[in-house]
Amino acid sequence: MIWLLSGALFWAAAFAVNVAVARSRHSARRWARVFVPALFGITILVVWECLVRGLGISPVLLPAPSAIAARFASSGEILWQDFVQTAVKGALSGYVIGCAAAFLTAILVDRRDFLRRGLLPVGNFVAALPIVGIAPILVKWYGFGWESKAAVVVVMVFFPMLINTVSGLGETSAMQRDLMRTYAAGYWTTLLKLRLPAAMPFVFNGLKISTTLALIGAIVAEYFGSPIYGMGFRIQSEAGRLSMDMVWAEIAVAALAGSVFYGAVALMERIVTFWHPSQRSQR
Amino acid sequence: MKKLLMSAAAALGLAGAGAQAGEDLTLQLKWVTQAQFAGYYVALEKGFYEEEGLDVTIKPGGPDIAPTQVLAGGGADVVIDWMPSALAAREKGLPLVNIAQPFKRSGMMLTCRADTGIKSPADFPGKTLGVWFFGNEYPFLSWMSQLGIPTDGSEGGVTVLKQGFNVDPLLQGQADCISTMTYNEYWQVIDAGIAPEDLVTFKYEDQGVATLEDGLYVLEDRLSDPAFEDQLVRFVRASMKGWKWAEENPDEAAMIVLEYDETGAQTEKHQKRMMGEIAKLTAGSDGTLDPADYQRTVDILLAGGSDPVITKEPEGAWTHAITDKALK
Repeated sequence: MIWLLSGALFWAAAFAVNVAVARSRHSARRWARVFVPALFGITILVVWECLVRGLGISPVLLPAPSAIAARFASSGEILWQDFVQTAVKGALSGYVIGCAAAFLTAILVDRRDFLRRGLLPVGNFVAALPIVGIAPILVKWYGFGWESKAAVVVVMVFFPMLINTVSGLGETSAMQRDLMRTYAAGYWTTLLKLRLPAAMPFVFNGLKISTTLALIGAIVAEYFGSPIYGMGFRIQSEAGRLSMDMVWAEIAVAALAGSVFYGAVALMERIVTFWHPSQRSQR
Repeated sequence: MKKLLMSAAAALGLAGAGAQAGEDLTLQLKWVTQAQFAGYYVALEKGFYEEEGLDVTIKPGGPDIAPTQVLAGGGADVVIDWMPSALAAREKGLPLVNIAQPFKRSGMMLTCRADTGIKSPADFPGKTLGVWFFGNEYPFLSWMSQLGIPTDGSEGGVTVLKQGFNVDPLLQGQADCISTMTYNEYWQVIDAGIAPEDLVTFKYEDQGVATLEDGLYVLEDRLSDPAFEDQLVRFVRASMKGWKWAEENPDEAAMIVLEYDETGAQTEKHQKRMMGEIAKLTAGSDGTLDPADYQRTVDILLAGGSDPVITKEPEGAWTHAITDKALK
């Protein structure tokens, strides 16, 4: 009972503080913009902890954040090994191969109209295939190691990246292309100096979408066959052993990895497309 | 006159339908509908549960369904599980209690291709072995621990592969050995075209590392309710009647199981063969858990060396209270 009361009290207090900060004259400052979501996140964790303890929820159904944190701290080596296997070897390699292939295909498609009309519908179809369907097939073809996970990621990221790059390459106006012609610029010069830089916002859009898809693909592909390490494997087998605290620890690692990955690509986008209106920072 | 007859017939019909309602009980199976659970389907089909006044719902399991979790979440009253998984769950804080043990013997094996050169467990180091997870890895881990063979990829150990629920790793050469059951996966390998002479099989029973398999488990706190206890007594009585009928009539039992298979994935040949093999595992058990078998399983699990499945002797993990009343 006391846990439930404390949880409710903390929530009410944090809510009041957040509302106060959001309404104050400091609300636009950087510290306020970080503080409000951070306090909200902490409140969720505190309320979760209080609910689990107050209602006596079995750790087999929902562990408390303190238990998860303890497990996280004590399983550092396993979590790191799983992270390398899934995020680095599986997701990252698939991401690089898939995005590079999609980018090059987009340039080809842009050059030849019949490729556009032929490849895009097929790509659309392939992208619609559910990964729980293609993952077992790819595991059969490429084996149990990280290669099959990378293959699943390639299939998942290829089409979004392709579509975005093709759209980006069509972003220049006739006036801009005519200007390049007046400078006697050939196809390749126009491509490298005008069309690709103009396409960058779209390309980065595709890259950002692909980061989330890559991690999902790598984890889910592991459900269908893996060596005995990897984030998907760990989540599935620890769930089978009722070690839900380990499952949540792995989820936390996955969330962290995904956020860092996305953040890194977003940072690169800031640097490359500094000229784009979307990159103008707020005062 | 006609109206009178019609309404009389309707009244009789309703009365007949009313007799159907018994006390509800939900059983969660360990795997998909197959002859491994024939006893329960026979009891359902032949009306043994109905005779005891029970309205039993059988929920098939499958990949990613952990019977222990279903029990914890209140999705079932009784579950079928293997003893290592149940004891591990008990140690984790989920108080499972074994109320009956229809399976006397273990059907678990490790099947290897003969061309890998493996002739005995001493040949395992350096090879790739397929193991099921999701609670089924405990017997294997115990065995490797007792042999002193590391499974974490270190020197002199084996490489372990998470086997899915098929035999592809053996067929495609991705693993040297895979886990099989005498009644299921082994026959899938044979059906795929590999001759028995090309296979080397290690039965857990022969290796002295067999643990008890399909048993009935409930949550401890529910056993203190006399009404529920009575339901379980009747359930176990009817289920064991179903099992003995299935042992004596394996082909008909297989057909009953096929009738209840909603996926349509099972075949007559496979189920009849499975029933024949399952009958060998249930023979000799009247449903009562033999404490000697229980102790043997516990000792094997405790002997797990550096990574034992359970760390201390379980207490109160089984009871004869139900089987004593059911089978007297």
